[in-house]
Amino acid sequence: MKPLHIPLESTKLENGLRVVVSPDRTAPVATLGVYYNIGFRLEPRGRSGFAHLFEHMMFQGSEHAGKMMHIKLINSSGGVLNGSTHYDVTNYYESIPSNALERVLWLEADRMRALKVDDENLRNQRDVVKEEVRVNVLNQPYGGFPWLDLPPVAFRNWPNAHNFYGDFADLDAATLEDVQQFFRTYYSPSNAVLLMIGDVTPEEGFALARRHFGNIPPGPPQPVADVREGPLDGLRRGEVEEKFGTLPAFAVGYRAPERKTPDWYAAAMLDHALHGGRAGRVYHQLVLEKQIAVDTGGGIQYPVGDLFDYNGPTLLVSRVLHKPEYNSEQALTAYDAVIDAVRQHGIERDELEQVKVKFRSEYVSSLEGGHGGSIPRYGLMHYLACFTLFDNDPSLVNSILDGFLQVTTEQVRSTAERYLDSQRRAIVFRLPSKKGAA
Amino acid sequence: MAIAATADRFPADPSANVPELAPERPVVWPARTYRKLANGLEVVLVESHTIPKFTGELYVRSGNANVAKTAPGLAEITATVVRTGTEARTSRQIEEDLRRMGADIGTSAGADTSAIAFNGLTEFSSELLKLVAELAQQASFPEEEFERERRQTIEGLRIERTTPSFLANERFRRILFGAHPYAIIAPTEAQVNAYRLEQLPEFYRTHYRPGNALFIAVGDFSAPQMMEQIDRTFASWKPAEVPAAPTAPLPELRGRSVHLVHLPGAVQAQVLIGNHAITRKHPDWLRLALANSMYGGAFNSRLIMNIREQKGYTYSPRSGVHALRQHGYFSVHAAVRNEVVAATLTEMFYELDRMRSLPVGEDELADARNYLSGVFSLGLATQDGLAGQLSNVYLNQLPEDYLETFRQRIRPLTAGDVLIAARKYFDSPNDQIVVVGDREQIADQAKLFGPVTEYDAKPE
Repeated sequence: MKPLHIPLESTKLENGLRVVVSPDRTAPVATLGVYYNIGFRLEPRGRSGFAHLFEHMMFQGSEHAGKMMHIKLINSSGGVLNGSTHYDVTNYYESIPSNALERVLWLEADRMRALKVDDENLRNQRDVVKEEVRVNVLNQPYGGFPWLDLPPVAFRNWPNAHNFYGDFADLDAATLEDVQQFFRTYYSPSNAVLLMIGDVTPEEGFALARRHFGNIPPGPPQPVADVREGPLDGLRRGEVEEKFGTLPAFAVGYRAPERKTPDWYAAAMLDHALHGGRAGRVYHQLVLEKQIAVDTGGGIQYPVGDLFDYNGPTLLVSRVLHKPEYNSEQALTAYDAVIDAVRQHGIERDELEQVKVKFRSEYVSSLEGGHGGSIPRYGLMHYLACFTLFDNDPSLVNSILDGFLQVTTEQVRSTAERYLDSQRRAIVFRLPSKKGAA
Repeated sequence: MAIAATADRFPADPSANVPELAPERPVVWPARTYRKLANGLEVVLVESHTIPKFTGELYVRSGNANVAKTAPGLAEITATVVRTGTEARTSRQIEEDLRRMGADIGTSAGADTSAIAFNGLTEFSSELLKLVAELAQQASFPEEEFERERRQTIEGLRIERTTPSFLANERFRRILFGAHPYAIIAPTEAQVNAYRLEQLPEFYRTHYRPGNALFIAVGDFSAPQMMEQIDRTFASWKPAEVPAAPTAPLPELRGRSVHLVHLPGAVQAQVLIGNHAITRKHPDWLRLALANSMYGGAFNSRLIMNIREQKGYTYSPRSGVHALRQHGYFSVHAAVRNEVVAATLTEMFYELDRMRSLPVGEDELADARNYLSGVFSLGLATQDGLAGQLSNVYLNQLPEDYLETFRQRIRPLTAGDVLIAARKYFDSPNDQIVVVGDREQIADQAKLFGPVTEYDAKPE
């Protein structure tokens, strides 16, 4: 295999805004993103769901581009746009024909400079967000499972443990002053990175960045936040009613190792050996062989994040939907047998080699696509942003693979033994209510 | 209006002028290599060296519509079991071999096609091709795999029957297509229980034939070498006549009618309306695509501005034109809070009727043309994007130069074209209305729009 060599150059403007350009002339299109180093982990107490509500407000109007202008200008340039809120970052991005590059940069700079929104905008987006929560969580079988169910059971510190989509009462309590306060605190150039991927040269990109973002004031230093979390030092169990779905389910969360430590590289290989598709041990054992489960999945931050896009305490998660003729304890026992085998015996040498090839292959694909195909190189943008904001080193996108490919079977076993401890984990059972629809 | 504090503190950029678009850069579609092999297999290849991988699909032009009368869903379970064993490999070997090659395979079936999708690292391309060829020609349909997949299918169906969007689509397709095979999007449990193992290889032997198939691959390979490999790997695939898919006349739907699917405990209502439209090959397709993008296909479309950005009824409204091989349909959907079901329907019809009544403005038209042609070119940038564009052209038998000429065919479309498309295909007076939700919360509102038929979430 050839080592990855994705071309990229980065710089930092005087106001602290970091800029990363990765040129690629395959097609006359570009993907642009602005990432702010703030996610739902650090939203204000009493304002659960606020970081995401705020993300919606960023489309409601900025100093020179009123409500609808962002969307209209980008769609009418032949582009698409969106934003998303994660644990530790929030992004705003566009894919466009490259002749719209400067226009989009102007728009992004305008909303980094000043948000111009009113109470009517806030009421409107609060309603929209509530319907989003209903369609994704409250009115869906297994909605929010387990990404909203596990953290309150596994964690003790509010930033890590609260309802990230938001309690409706908290959404209702949010004010316009909260919006502007959040903007002033976190949405400044020194807390952001601008990314340009595709049909743009670094010289062009840097010059445009300076022209449009250069005179935005740097903003205040970030408040120091305490997201520390004590060890998951016991067996913590929770139960959530499943209103629609017909199958009992459970999810298990173990504390994941810190990013870029040797344990973390090993945990990624372990995770893949357990949860990687139909060959993964959990699916293979529980669905294909023992046929206790109907579906399984898992991963670090599963299913709303991945190995790279977090910067604080997180979980390695397994999720199991099982047949109703097995009770929860039986299904959990079968799952534990899979985990115990890895903790005692590790994984086979050949298995690890397979996992490494598959991991490398998936990593490369995630750089090129990663967003339903509609946003070319979304994944590359996303990882460059995280490596810049969390590690101050975008070039990790080329070198990070090496650490995974060096993991040994012994490291995998020892990581499994230390992290996948049945007495130090959170388990949430999601059980169909008696009066289920079916 | 509250003025942002930040706007007061910081000086604004002196120029508030939106930058003009730079001159458009030419869009060059990559060269295609097309060949029909001696056994009839059509092959389309495009080189794309963005990443050291390749991606593609082997399509079989038969799907669930072919068996809707005899065994609904049989094409789907056939595709599912295809990946679980061949004459040379067990299920476990297949999965481990895939992991060893860094590859993925997905087998599935829709109404008109069955497909083996694949992607993998270039360094293992010949091994992956060999596996795809094996799955296409030598699937072994092990009984225990079939029985397991049967149960998985049933459990999956039970969950789908609690999913509002599935229930809405299922009811809508039944109303729109009546006795036509397209009416059925999923089998019942009883139908799944009635499958016999031998029906799977029978469907497979009948339909998985090279003359009925299309192989598309895009990626980091040399097209001539890849073509030679494919020729070698698939040469042994035996041709045979394949029966055509059955068809039936569509119901004549006159006047609106309302179909309420009761989902107890629902805290939101899923609204879906629509009517018959056209296939991809129809000469009105681009006109309709343009009209749709202005109505509710793009983010800045009229419907989304109205019911999301002005009224806040919903998060994710959208309209779309759905093309199947024999027929197409137009539909509009939104998940809305229970109190605004009637208000949402009112706005949906209002915006449809406005598109039917008045020509769109020139600015709005120009914006929409730019949108369609720009978004189309985004598909060029990735292997997956290119593969999707090629599938569209070759599965629908569109003209050879479809991709190259797309932008120049969008450019001359006028407000008159949009009006024609809206009047023909936004059939507001005869739209069929499906609402999925808790009856108590929404029935009074639904009945304002036509005679109501109620259903529960169970299959017929």
